[in-house]
Amino acid sequence: MSVLLILIKRNKFWVAFSVLAALLSNLSQMFFANLIGKLVNNIESRSAITLSFIITAACFIVSNAFTLLLNQYVGRLTAEKMAHSLRMGYAKKLLERSLKEKYTLDTASAMSIAQNELSQANTYLSNTFFDITGMLFMAFLATVFLLFKNVFLTLVFLIPTFLILIYVFFSSRSLSGIVSKAQNEKNRMNKVAYSVIHAFYSVKIFGGEKLSMKAYNESFESWKKQWQKMGRRSALYNTLSGIMSMIPLLILLLVGALMVIRGDILLGTLIVFLYLQSSLTSAIMNLPNWLANFKVFTTNLSRIDIS
Amino acid sequence: MIKLENVSFKYENAYVFENLSLTVKDGEKVGIIGESGCGKSTLLKMIAGLNIPTSEEINVDGEKDPEGIIKKVSVVMQSPMLLPLSIIDNITMGHDHDEERIEKIIEAANLKKWTDSLPDGLNTYLGDRADELSGGQAQRIAIARAMFKDAGILLLDEPTSALDGENAASVLEAINRFTSDKTVIHVTHRREHLNGYDRIFMMKDGKLIEA
Ligand SMILES: Nc1ncnc2c1ncn2[C@@H]1O[C@H](COP(=O)(O)OP(=O)(O)OP(=O)(O)O)[C@@H](O)[C@H]1O
Ligand SMILES: [Mg+2]
Repeated sequence: MSVLLILIKRNKFWVAFSVLAALLSNLSQMFFANLIGKLVNNIESRSAITLSFIITAACFIVSNAFTLLLNQYVGRLTAEKMAHSLRMGYAKKLLERSLKEKYTLDTASAMSIAQNELSQANTYLSNTFFDITGMLFMAFLATVFLLFKNVFLTLVFLIPTFLILIYVFFSSRSLSGIVSKAQNEKNRMNKVAYSVIHAFYSVKIFGGEKLSMKAYNESFESWKKQWQKMGRRSALYNTLSGIMSMIPLLILLLVGALMVIRGDILLGTLIVFLYLQSSLTSAIMNLPNWLANFKVFTTNLSRIDIS
Repeated sequence: MIKLENVSFKYENAYVFENLSLTVKDGEKVGIIGESGCGKSTLLKMIAGLNIPTSEEINVDGEKDPEGIIKKVSVVMQSPMLLPLSIIDNITMGHDHDEERIEKIIEAANLKKWTDSLPDGLNTYLGDRADELSGGQAQRIAIARAMFKDAGILLLDEPTSALDGENAASVLEAINRFTSDKTVIHVTHRREHLNGYDRIFMMKDGKLIEA
């Protein structure tokens, strides 16, 4: 089983709780957006704004703040719990090994993994993982919400979005191979450095300084090559997906404005669509980057044995 | 010749030994036994130039400076300390070598059967095999490396601790063959490994007592 799944399983209560918190926060934001839409419609039709409307709006403002706080708090806590499981799982796994059978190169790689893969995976978990999953979750919920509001207008931007998504997925796949290779090269380079430090005495006694430097330089060169390749590719893909992510928005704006002029929908509805669709746009815009980082994360995870 | 005269050594505050003296003549085979933690490895590292004594000096084949001493000795350390490179690189440490000699060393260190079974043989990269390499295999690579350096003085710190009885016996026999004209200091927990040695010392309370 993949390490990520194990981590989720070992913290299922917290993961479930953070999904719930994200759901509440997203729903609250969507209903608030909906309320703003209604307000615009009221203004447009010059009907009165009732007291209950104002109270509802105030309630949603409070609920937005509260659920956002809850979402962030639970998300961070869950991330820390998972990072802790990862650290402890790795330490426990090491402790279970028999000492006699382990030789010192292994100690050096264990050190290297602890200092590099483990700490990077932890940073990713704490800083990025839940923000990304939260944004993707929001994009998904917003789409479902909009489908309920107006199927036609949703499909107007959803169909081009899907086409872009297919492009993004295929380009990310070719990118993720390079990303994973670059990460492996980096890990290898770190391992060489750690082993040389660890085997310092042997290097000195047997005059292996030149060999060590050569090994380090070679691993550095092959990492650099992969890293540059990765940089070029990801810049290209990110630019393209950034430009393409604007297409659904433009179509929505065009078709939506036409529908408002024809009187099919009210202006407020279009505003709700534009507001919520932006969460989808930003998700797609960042998707190649996210997928690349996620690949680095899972590559790191795959080298941390906690099962 | 190795000559330690009244040398002392401490790690932090506590002395591991004080005023210790030892003279080993060229070609002599000396064994050191003693309880765990008494300072055998510390002493061996000092003779190798890796630990600098806190008082008095040491003289190894006329060298007093650690950088000079290190060139005169070959060491099998208690833990092998390999690099994530190929087996051959770990043995030669990047120095020129001729095939015939390597072949002899591989055989003497009981590595041949194992390396012949590897698809890449001696060029097998160790870095990715960390989990597959046993303590005994690593130790035998370290022994081959020490043989390859071919220094006049060989320092052995429990070189066969991870090998089974049969393997240990044949490797020790090969080491003895390889070192017939060399000076050897061999630290071990097993006295039977020191059969045929010129002198055997017992290390206790920071002193060497001839046993
Ligand atoms: N790097 C170090 N820093 C501080 N103390 C150390 C260090 N290395 C060893 N010691 C201490 O010095 C003493 C002697 O250690 P040494 O490794 O020389 O023992 P040894 O006789 O080789 O033991 P063993 O038979 O278990 O290998 C021990 O008390 C040990 O704890
Ligand atoms: Mg020792």
